[in-house]
Amino acid sequence: MPRRSSSFLLGVLTVAALAGCERRGGCTGSYCGTVIDAALSEPATLLPPVTEDVVAGDIGEQLFLKLADVGMSTNTVGDEDFQALLANRWEWDGPVTLVFHLDPRARWQDGQRVSAADVEFTFDAYQDSVVGSPFRAKLRRIASVTQRDSLTAVFRFREQYPEMFYDAVYHMRILPAHLLRSVPRDQWKTAAFGRQPVGSGPYKFVRWQSAQSIELVADSTFFLGRPGIRRLIWRFTPNLQVAVTQVIADQADVREQLVTPDNVQRARAAPQLKLQTFRGNVYTYMGFNLRASGDTSKPHPIFSDREVRRALSMAVDRASLVKSALGDLGKVPPGPMSSLLWIWDPEIRQLPYDTAQAGRILSARGWRDHDGDGVRDKNGQPLSFHILVPTTSVLRRQYARLLQEQFRMIGVRAEIDELEFSVVTQRLQSGNYDTSILSRGNDPSPGSGITQSWTRAGFGGSNFGRYYSAEFERQVDRAIAAPTQDQARGFWRAAITTINADAPGIFLYSLENVAAVHKRIDNVQIRPDSWAALLRTWRIPQDQLIDRDRVER
Amino acid sequence: MILRRFVASVAIIFAVVTLVFVLIHIAPGEPCPSDEPVDPAVCSELKQQFGLDRPVPEQYWRYLVALAHGNLGYSFSLRRPVKDALVETIPFTLQLSGAALLIDFLLGLLLGIYQASRVNRVPDWVLGNITLFIYSLPTFWLALILLLLFAEKLGWFPVGGASHPIFCPAGVDSAFCFADRIWHLLLPAVTLGLVGAAGTARFQRAAMLDVASQDYVRTARAKGVPERRVVLRHQLRNALLSFITRFGLAFPFLLTGAVLIETIFAWPGMGRLAFNAILTRDHTLVTATALIASAVVVFGNLAADLLLELADPRLRVRADVTTEIVTV
Repeated sequence: MPRRSSSFLLGVLTVAALAGCERRGGCTGSYCGTVIDAALSEPATLLPPVTEDVVAGDIGEQLFLKLADVGMSTNTVGDEDFQALLANRWEWDGPVTLVFHLDPRARWQDGQRVSAADVEFTFDAYQDSVVGSPFRAKLRRIASVTQRDSLTAVFRFREQYPEMFYDAVYHMRILPAHLLRSVPRDQWKTAAFGRQPVGSGPYKFVRWQSAQSIELVADSTFFLGRPGIRRLIWRFTPNLQVAVTQVIADQADVREQLVTPDNVQRARAAPQLKLQTFRGNVYTYMGFNLRASGDTSKPHPIFSDREVRRALSMAVDRASLVKSALGDLGKVPPGPMSSLLWIWDPEIRQLPYDTAQAGRILSARGWRDHDGDGVRDKNGQPLSFHILVPTTSVLRRQYARLLQEQFRMIGVRAEIDELEFSVVTQRLQSGNYDTSILSRGNDPSPGSGITQSWTRAGFGGSNFGRYYSAEFERQVDRAIAAPTQDQARGFWRAAITTINADAPGIFLYSLENVAAVHKRIDNVQIRPDSWAALLRTWRIPQDQLIDRDRVER
Repeated sequence: MILRRFVASVAIIFAVVTLVFVLIHIAPGEPCPSDEPVDPAVCSELKQQFGLDRPVPEQYWRYLVALAHGNLGYSFSLRRPVKDALVETIPFTLQLSGAALLIDFLLGLLLGIYQASRVNRVPDWVLGNITLFIYSLPTFWLALILLLLFAEKLGWFPVGGASHPIFCPAGVDSAFCFADRIWHLLLPAVTLGLVGAAGTARFQRAAMLDVASQDYVRTARAKGVPERRVVLRHQLRNALLSFITRFGLAFPFLLTGAVLIETIFAWPGMGRLAFNAILTRDHTLVTATALIASAVVVFGNLAADLLLELADPRLRVRADVTTEIVTV
């Protein structure tokens, strides 16, 4: 029996040793290297017009090029800061006509030349209601896209405005018309092309192992220069902690967002990792529902009163909350924006933290503790409401508790409803809630996100609380239409001051992103709106290659 | 008799599928695959495209018709046929559950026999407490602790996944990749199997002790049969009958455990698929995974019952007598 046990143990150890030892491969030189990203979700499709999935976006950056893209500044006004991609130059042909000249070297990965017909086809597809692209609304101010010749595409806009160039290039990844024209548009969401794409980018699709990984390989003939890393792998992990552990245990090379101070600390202790901080594109707020819970035709009995909303906002010490929950990883946003936006300005006027004033306002509005139970009431109704928060977010659940305590200090009772995300979504969409802690991701333009979430255009859409202010909307319209960035900044400042004073929500935190990247990777450039946008410039020096970089297949 | 049991099993599976279909449709929650609230227009377009906006009875009827044609439907969250997703994931769940079952029963059986042979002595007391401790541990907690210790701190095992993404991607078959798969499988299988083994050990110990007081065991001892032979031939053989019952009962435990373990260890099996389907309210996928899971449990139990009848002639005799009485 002891002999059998030892044999078994020996067998297990042999298997572990055999599998645990990484095999030596053969690639040497400047263009070897593998980067494994510990990704949190698996996309359903890689066809750009029909997915908003973050990981699909990261992979899309490598497969499908845009005509041009924003630069490191993420400035969206004018065209000065944009980088050429499929279009090697462009010019304005009048106030509302933009002409792109495609790079004649650009090729689809099946060898066909990228042409203006592809650009025309792409715009048509993104605009087609049958395709149902989530980006369709962002292209509404482009009247048409036509081809002047095989390498020249002409964009005509409905009006003149400062972000015309941004709208023309940022939302659309150019698609291969010769491969997609035959696919019925109503089947694009499920098209086989979405699981085996052919693009024009620096990397080519290799394989997709469901629930495991997606692998891309560098296109050595890429017209803008051979990518520095030979192979990219997105490895899917359904849990942030496990994803972070993979990077710490040296089984992945990149975790682009560590999210919590704990994870940052763990990653900092790993000798093979370096951390890189970049501006985040998400802000989180507690939104008030201004209409009655479950009945959008009636005003909310508490939150329709602007003064009460202001008082509740003043009762929250946002700076302390950020410090205790996020440390250096968060900032108090000066309004409904993430630090990614160029309109971010800490000098914008905000409601102060002043619990005494908050209490006075509530008393003045008739909310007093008449029955001595510690909760203010008016006409027999206690000043009490529910905070809706998704169970999936540890941070937001923590914030809900902190807010509950801060409200309790001024005699307000808040109860927390922690629910599954799909239920939260349903209740937000039906207006069946009092308040909710929500996170919003911005693209680099302040116009689209703020309009969708805080103006009438978002009613029935992303403006769940149904906030409306005629003055705010006027200021937003002026900001969007301002001819220069300086002027726009002034209008935005006024608009944000207005919304802050109206307090349709309490703007809690904007996350700063910290990425953990393996130290052997050099020239790591991270663009704040898309960490993977410049992956093709990353490199691994020859003397830093490890076994998994050298594997030949 | 077997045919009757088979028909009853199919009826149970049908009832489970119907119940799951109704429950998932009436449960609150919006079928929209996103981590953040998306524009309701995008959601409603998706629902319309996948027929999720139709009345529940109509959806149910369409589902049954499709099912009768062998079509499990289309997953809106994966944007692909459910059958394709299941074909890819079921083998992984079978590997995990099979390995866990092996650990569960081998380890549990050995421990149970050993404890029974040392009843009320120090080894029995120590092992009894250890198995009770392990049995009371939540599986997900044990999984996280093992992951932290053996994968992150010691680096002996991979942190999740089913194979090395570079050395052993799909389609690469070699001895190395076989070893790599076992290396990836060990930690999740041990986690799942260990808790089961603790339960099996306690179960087997009780069964062995139950049999120990039977006349035939005493007679064997009185006849001077060696103790090892008494335990293995007389005690264990009869105690194995309850072991077969436990085999049938293990299926639901393994399948529910697999949901947690697959999620924590990023194991690409059906449990993780079901978990994501529930979160995204992917009705078709939830119903299909419930169909498969209930079929495994029901037919697993049917197999256990049949095995039991094969192993224990008394049950066959009793069944025959009952049939005769009913016939008369």
